[in-house]
Amino acid sequence: MATLPTTWLRDGVADVRIVARGWRWGRRPVVPRSAEPFVPPSQKPVFRTDWARRRPARAAREIAQKAGLEPLFRSQVRTRVEGLDVLTDLRGPVIFVANHASHLDTPLILLSLPDAWRRRTAVAAAADYFFDTWWRAVGSAVVFNTFPIDRRGGSLATTPGEVLAEGWSLVIFPEGTRSRDGWAGRFQLGAAWLATEHDVPVVPIAHRGTFAAMPRGQGWPARGRQPLTVRFGPPLRPGVDESPRDFAPRIRDAVAALLDEERTTWWDARRRAADGTTPDASGPAVAPWRRVWEQAAPPATPRADSAPARQAWRR
Amino acid sequence: MTRPGFVLEVDDRTPPLVVHEGEGFRLQEFPLGTRVIYPPESLPAVPDVDAAIAEALLHPLDADPLPTQLRPGMRLTIAFDDVSLPLPPMRAPDIRQRIIEAVLTMAADAGVDDVQLIAANALHRRMTPAELRHIVGERAFRSFHPHGLLTNHDAEDHDNLLHVGLTEKGEDVEINRRAAESDLLVYVNVNLVAMDGGHKSVPIGLASYKSLRHHHNAKTMVRSHSFMDHTKSHLHHSAWRMGRLLKEHLNIFQIETTLNNDVFPSSYDFLMKREWEWSVRDQAAMLGARRALALAPRRLRHKLFHEMRSPYGLTGIHAGDTEAVHERTIANVHRQQLVEVQGQSDVLVLGVPYLGPYNVNSVMNPILATCMGLGYFFNSYRGQPLVRRGGAVILYHPLEANFDQLHHPSYIDFYDEILAESTDPLVIEEKYEQQFATDPWYIHLYRTSHAYHGVHPFYMWYWAAHAMDHVDDVIWVGGDRRTAARLGFRAASTLADALEMASSTVGSSPSISYLHNPPHLIADVR
Repeated sequence: MATLPTTWLRDGVADVRIVARGWRWGRRPVVPRSAEPFVPPSQKPVFRTDWARRRPARAAREIAQKAGLEPLFRSQVRTRVEGLDVLTDLRGPVIFVANHASHLDTPLILLSLPDAWRRRTAVAAAADYFFDTWWRAVGSAVVFNTFPIDRRGGSLATTPGEVLAEGWSLVIFPEGTRSRDGWAGRFQLGAAWLATEHDVPVVPIAHRGTFAAMPRGQGWPARGRQPLTVRFGPPLRPGVDESPRDFAPRIRDAVAALLDEERTTWWDARRRAADGTTPDASGPAVAPWRRVWEQAAPPATPRADSAPARQAWRR
Repeated sequence: MTRPGFVLEVDDRTPPLVVHEGEGFRLQEFPLGTRVIYPPESLPAVPDVDAAIAEALLHPLDADPLPTQLRPGMRLTIAFDDVSLPLPPMRAPDIRQRIIEAVLTMAADAGVDDVQLIAANALHRRMTPAELRHIVGERAFRSFHPHGLLTNHDAEDHDNLLHVGLTEKGEDVEINRRAAESDLLVYVNVNLVAMDGGHKSVPIGLASYKSLRHHHNAKTMVRSHSFMDHTKSHLHHSAWRMGRLLKEHLNIFQIETTLNNDVFPSSYDFLMKREWEWSVRDQAAMLGARRALALAPRRLRHKLFHEMRSPYGLTGIHAGDTEAVHERTIANVHRQQLVEVQGQSDVLVLGVPYLGPYNVNSVMNPILATCMGLGYFFNSYRGQPLVRRGGAVILYHPLEANFDQLHHPSYIDFYDEILAESTDPLVIEEKYEQQFATDPWYIHLYRTSHAYHGVHPFYMWYWAAHAMDHVDDVIWVGGDRRTAARLGFRAASTLADALEMASSTVGSSPSISYLHNPPHLIADVR
């Protein structure tokens, strides 16, 4: 027969388990769907990140990225980078615009850039997600050079325009959030507006494999060094009288063409782009499971279309 | 900004939700799709309470300013709501104290000598001096109580009751003689829920059994849909008739106040938050509270809860003509408590907390728990009940057959003798009410001790009559089985068991609504 202290302890442990499960300890809290319209606007204090673009933080970031992030990243995934030659004739700053499917996207893009570009690139990150706690804000600002953008239209300490004006290139994911099925969503106008407002070129980027490697809800890449591909496209410049509303679709088309190129060849993708038959980046209108199924397959491995590497020893 | 109340639909992201059950609470995982009705967040309190009181007294609705009604040589009586309001008791200073002090200051300035203060406790127990002091404040208590000028209303003191007349429907209107014969009766109300105030204050709070029996009966309660909506409540219709008759004979200056939803003190903040918004601190506080309550001896647990004082804030105060004032008051109550709900459900879930109007500083016995759950909470609707006719109600309460010998002596006999014979409100009213209402021993205890009137447990049972008439199944989760059986209900160990038991009434996949109360709310069921 259980004694009182035993029962008390057992019930206490049960309570803790219920709370740990119900309040998702160690994971991000979620709001029941029907309560989402009643979530109060964030009242978080404005988090300044200008310190993260000064010399001491840049030195710390160099160490963190080269000595920590890159070895770790490469130990977990394999990458193939194409199209970096587009940066050869460019002088910064530029706006890198990419599709967004995973938390792996940011390190994939940053670590794919030549060092000189990487050191002068900042990443726009959702204020409500990456800047909701001080430790998450400091961590992401140090390692990824993030600065907050407010998806809900609040006021911020630093605007992307100011970061551009300081000479930093930006990485922007115009979808605003990670894709739920791996396919691209609607592109918001922010990147196009910045490009027209500050007259800077946009470099489209298309990547694939990050959704298969680490989709929403996973905190670590899948086992087996999943292959990732990233492809940089030629820079786009807004026309003299081109509005952000007209420029944004051009950016999205460029990303779609790069994704097409990734699946086929540069030549086929160019011909389809010329015909206006580039497959839409949002994917086919098929059952949701088929959309996820297709994106959950890893892209062709980096070595698939090249001669098999000679193995020095048997595995 | 204050967020409105809303209806949550339980999904896979919803954490377990708090359900009150007597002197404790539990975390309950509800079936997916359960509707949970959350009250609006607490409204901002009036910043300057004294200025608001002065404004109400100097610029009353459909009445002359209070100072102009005060003169030397007049008889002034100040009546006020008793300890049953608000719940939990308000942290000092009670709003009634501040209003009574303002009224007395004006009376002193006007040279009024003949002033009496009367607690409008009807057939409730007499309040102790300490309870009176808490409500009226130390100054008023010291000035009036030692001289017998601050008293509890005595509904059995026939020399001090006055039969004012009959309403057009033949209802006796008999109230406290001193109040009825005053030149001015000032009534100070705390309108915690929509059923309070209006003509329920004077014609009920200061009445006798002879008057109360016209509306406090099973038939009236079954037809009051609900008694939280005075326009649809037969109880209130009767009280309104009585109030209008009184108005012809008596100058009543009604002062009504409304409070926000700051029910729990800061250490219990988590009980007022929406669960998915609990911080780590809230989670720790909840876990700590549950472990402490599990460890605490019964007396300590009781003490912890009953010594809780609410930091209520004032949301409005209006004074003047009763009906004009009450219209504004109800609008304020609705602003704080009304939540729109679409349609009824098969099952209504209610958590009955440790406190109701009739067990302040006492024990919530099974009859009071029934009154609280099937009476007050079930009737917290406007339009139509949250549960469909023929549905089931599932309540949480331990239902221990504990009775306070001092406060509830007639409840013990009601439980042991009457409920053993019948649980039908109509039957027990017809066969047994008179016997309890006129029992000399109960009357003696009511007048000289701190006992509720002999008829009071009958009224509590009538309070639940509408619910008993409306639903086919009542199941108490965590309730004592023998007690539940005595009450005519059933008990279950868990919600899953209760739903299984109710499946014969509502099927195996019923729609469920959970009224997340307290803080108080009214479901506006469309």
